[in-house]
Amino acid sequence: MKPWKTMLAGALSVSMLAACGGNDGADGGADGEADPDEVSGEITVWGWNVAAASMEIAIEGFQEEYPDVDVTVEDIGREDLYDRLTVGLAAGGSGLPDVTMVETDRLDNYIAEFPDGFVNLSEYGFDEHEDKFAESKIETMKNNDGDFVAAPWDIGPAGVFYNIPLFEEAGVNPDDIETWDDYIAAGETILEETEAQMLPVDISADDNLFRMMLNLQGTYYFDEDGNINLHNEEGQQALSTIKEMREKDLVANADGWDGTVTATVNNQVATVPFGVWYAGTIMDQAPEQEGEWGVFKLPAFEEGGNRDANLGGSDLTVINGSDNEQAAYAFVEYFTTDSDAQVNALSEYGIFPSLLEAYDDPFFEEEDEYFNNEPIWSLFADISEGVLPANYTSDYARALRYSSDAQANALLQDADPAEALREAADMIANETQRDINE
Amino acid sequence: MTNNKNKTTTILKKIGLYTLLGIGVFLSMFPFYWMFIGATNPSGAIFSMPPNLVPGDHFFENLRNLNENVGIWRVIMNSLIITLTFTVVSVMICSAAGFAFAKYQFKGRDPIFFMLLLAIMIPYHVTLIPLFELMANVGWLNTYQAVILPHLAYPFAIFLMRQNMRSIPNSLLEAARVDGAGEMRIFFTVVLPTMRPALAAVAIFLFMFQWNNFLWPLVVLGDSSMYTLPVALSSLVGMSRIDYGQIMLGTTLSTLPIMVFFLLLQRQFISGILGGSVKE
Repeated sequence: MKPWKTMLAGALSVSMLAACGGNDGADGGADGEADPDEVSGEITVWGWNVAAASMEIAIEGFQEEYPDVDVTVEDIGREDLYDRLTVGLAAGGSGLPDVTMVETDRLDNYIAEFPDGFVNLSEYGFDEHEDKFAESKIETMKNNDGDFVAAPWDIGPAGVFYNIPLFEEAGVNPDDIETWDDYIAAGETILEETEAQMLPVDISADDNLFRMMLNLQGTYYFDEDGNINLHNEEGQQALSTIKEMREKDLVANADGWDGTVTATVNNQVATVPFGVWYAGTIMDQAPEQEGEWGVFKLPAFEEGGNRDANLGGSDLTVINGSDNEQAAYAFVEYFTTDSDAQVNALSEYGIFPSLLEAYDDPFFEEEDEYFNNEPIWSLFADISEGVLPANYTSDYARALRYSSDAQANALLQDADPAEALREAADMIANETQRDINE
Repeated sequence: MTNNKNKTTTILKKIGLYTLLGIGVFLSMFPFYWMFIGATNPSGAIFSMPPNLVPGDHFFENLRNLNENVGIWRVIMNSLIITLTFTVVSVMICSAAGFAFAKYQFKGRDPIFFMLLLAIMIPYHVTLIPLFELMANVGWLNTYQAVILPHLAYPFAIFLMRQNMRSIPNSLLEAARVDGAGEMRIFFTVVLPTMRPALAAVAIFLFMFQWNNFLWPLVVLGDSSMYTLPVALSSLVGMSRIDYGQIMLGTTLSTLPIMVFFLLLQRQFISGILGGSVKE
């Protein structure tokens, strides 16, 4: 062997050792089809609140397949989970669980900051499940090399929750609302007849309506190439629409999450355009309003246009450095691809699956008593299949801040929507070095 | 005549004063009352308009749920153990350090003190990750000492003690030395008793700091059975589903010890604030 070949071989084996270092004894992970009876060990899973609870109830089904794996689910507050995850990853993986949930719109940021922080699920063979999920969800789960770094869990198909008594009092038929113009006209009638405003918006802090409107038009803060796009035609149309509602006094300026809930449960607003998960919030905070809420699809920007959009959603990741990667992957694979586990998460805790075969479950045809006996779950299933993909990027959080500022400028300072958005785009470009679409 | 006039103006002044004070009391007490209302009602009631101002009957249900979710008694025990140990030890260390800085001459005293003051200005978050790595390396994640130890020598408390101890006359210490007292004895029997107001102020300060400490315990205590109160309460805040009844009850429970501690040391605390403003 020539000396340079020896050196190369040496260098290669060192780098392979280094690559294995994070696995801590797992068998390199290339073999996805391990015999369930041979996978054993203890794993810890992080999640918050109802998400943690829905993983908890899935453990039993999981252990039928993997009897030797013990799963502990830790219920941690949402912001707290991110704080601990960030500190743990920055400290090289100390104090972290084997599996954690991460919201889809934050995933890119974590992967950019900690490229080695998460296990490549494609190496375990997750690619075989690719076709089982809503299309818009799949792309956001992959890193730049096209490998899965997270397994898709829930999505947030968006709809308009509406207050039935207010609609009836004003004589407005929700089925007639197909475009935002219809929506505004209905809002004016309702304001006149009932004095209730049409919708709550947390003007200075959250731009979720704006984001849903971008998604309706097939774009987001950034386009599919990662270039800044929120200031273009679609963004201008969205923000102008919101501004028009504000000028017609249809918007209740809600102070944060609590303000939004207060407006919702006190008949101060006739509708709340939000992700499917808001159904659980209304049921929790206003149990006495059973039968008074319904859902219709988001209005489109032109007649016959797209009415499907998404807001929110989360995924499961396996942390690199887990003592038991194989078992961790087994749990992630089971939980995200098992229809029963996903349907239980929805029926018990209102967490909406992105797993398409779950939608065939009879639960989706059930009429929901709280929601006026409408089969709202099949409506949301229908929406989630039509959602256009969004590219969140690693700069999502920055863009969100400037976009909310633009919304506040347009609605509270009476700035021109196009100018406010252009300003936001410039700020984002300045901070992220991304290109602006002209 | 002038006497009468004076009387009416004083009465008027008093009425004005008490009205102002009354408003102040209302403004500062109402949030506590509202918290109590929230703790005794089901979650949704907190959103009702007009607001519900009467205590409800959900106190025990909220307590049961809270205990089921976070194990509230265990959590309170954790908080008490950590905070009381921390307060006692930290008061000792900080007052001893303050005494050394105030009354001993040694090489490099002023530069060291200056560096200590600079340490006050280091943002908490900067030390978070290195400190976490340190704790992980010595295997202290999930332990009480990981929360207690890092902040025992609390720069601001040392500063406060040093400033107060400068007012002790040197002749007093000299007299004790002449009488044959050792330095330890001087510290415990001469210095500390004269410092009671300052000690109380520092103790309340350190107690509140550790009782409310959130980010560090959150990061370093991974196991939910080790959680302190703020960490446990924060774990109740999920995303779109929040039980406010439980949170309000937990918050009520967590303010009680601070009130008790403050009332116990109140007299000393107030003279601590006034300390130095009047020279007797």
